[in-house]
Parts: sequence; structure tokens; C-alpha cells
Amino acid sequence: MLPLLISTFTTIFLAELGDKTQIATVSLSGTSKRPLAVFIGSSAALVLASLIGVIAGGAIARVVPDNYLKLISAFGLLGIGLRLIWPNKSNEVISEV
Amino acid sequence: MPNLEPDKKIPPENSVDNDFVSVLTITFTTVFLAELGDKTQIATLLLSAQSGKPLVVFLGASIALICSSFVGVVLGRWLATIISPIKFKYMAGITMIGVGLWIGIQACESLINQ
Repeated sequence: MLPLLISTFTTIFLAELGDKTQIATVSLSGTSKRPLAVFIGSSAALVLASLIGVIAGGAIARVVPDNYLKLISAFGLLGIGLRLIWPNKSNEVISEV
Repeated sequence: MPNLEPDKKIPPENSVDNDFVSVLTITFTTVFLAELGDKTQIATLLLSAQSGKPLVVFLGASIALICSSFVGVVLGRWLATIISPIKFKYMAGITMIGVGLWIGIQACESLINQ
């Protein structure tokens, strides 16, 4: 149980660093006088979004047989990872800003 | 713990955009909409589907996301103290436009090659 928890934490935390949602949080917390409200708002939004993601994942798990799931998620995570490390147009937009 | 109380130095703005609830709702809606379909959400979906333990994945993802929001907020406050508020608002504006463009470009890309 623990390795799954730690691997999820590290994957999501590293993927989120520099992610557009975090950049939005930085700008919002810098400009507003209510950093606590920004923190609560952003955390609640992210937790709700991941709840939706988890529920959707759970639903799919009931439909699709397990080994296909592992295959799909392997390719899916591979794709996300490649998109993160591969310098493509959308990354350049952020480096210009 | 860095102090998270509203900072006196920033000049008083009109009350609307600095009242607790409105800032909270603005942040919630912005971040929530930006996060839907975001790579972290898809990763959470995939992790929970293949692990068969959605609760553990949800716990791990939530703690990670709360920590990253905390990092974001502290970073924002730290930047606000270094850069003068007016310049920071200007830079924050550009960043938000950049983020908006980025989301827009991604949306157009996925629409075009659908």
C-alpha cells in the first residue's frame, strides 16, 4: 500500500510543479491580499479534480480487464511523461512568458 | 511557518477582489477548470485504474496537490514581497495571459487533430 502512496505522491507532486495550475496559484496568491483563500481554493479545486479522476479511474477499472488497464495506463503515463520532457510548442509558450 | 495573514504593505485595493470568499471562489473556479483534463488528473485516473486501490491513489494525489498549492502560494507571497506590487500585478497579468494562451493552444491542437 505504501509504495503506491509514495509513487503517486512523487509523480503527481513533480508533475504539478511548474504546471499551469500552480502558476495560476502563484499569480493569484501574489496579487491578492488573501493567500489563505488562494491556498484553500486551489487545494479544494485540485482535490476535487483528483477525486473525479480517481472515481473515473475506478469506474473504468470495473469495465476494462486488468491487464488491458495496465497496458493503457503504461502507455498513457509514458505519453504524459514524454510530453513533459519533450520540448514542444506548448512548453515554449511558457518559457517565453 | 511563513505568515499567511493579509500583507499590510500592499496598497488597499477595492474590497471586492480582496474579500476572502470572492478570492476563494475565483481561485477555486480557475484552478478547477484548468485542472479538468490536466495531465495530473489523467495520471491520477490511470494510476487509480491500474492499481485497483483508488483510495490510496486519491490520498497520495491529494496530499501532493495540497503541497504543490502550498508551494505555489508561498512562492507567490515571496515574489510579492520582492517585486513591487504594481510590477507584480503586471507580471502576474502576463503570466495569466500566457497560461490562458497555453490552454487555448492545447485545446486548438487537440481539436485540430481530432
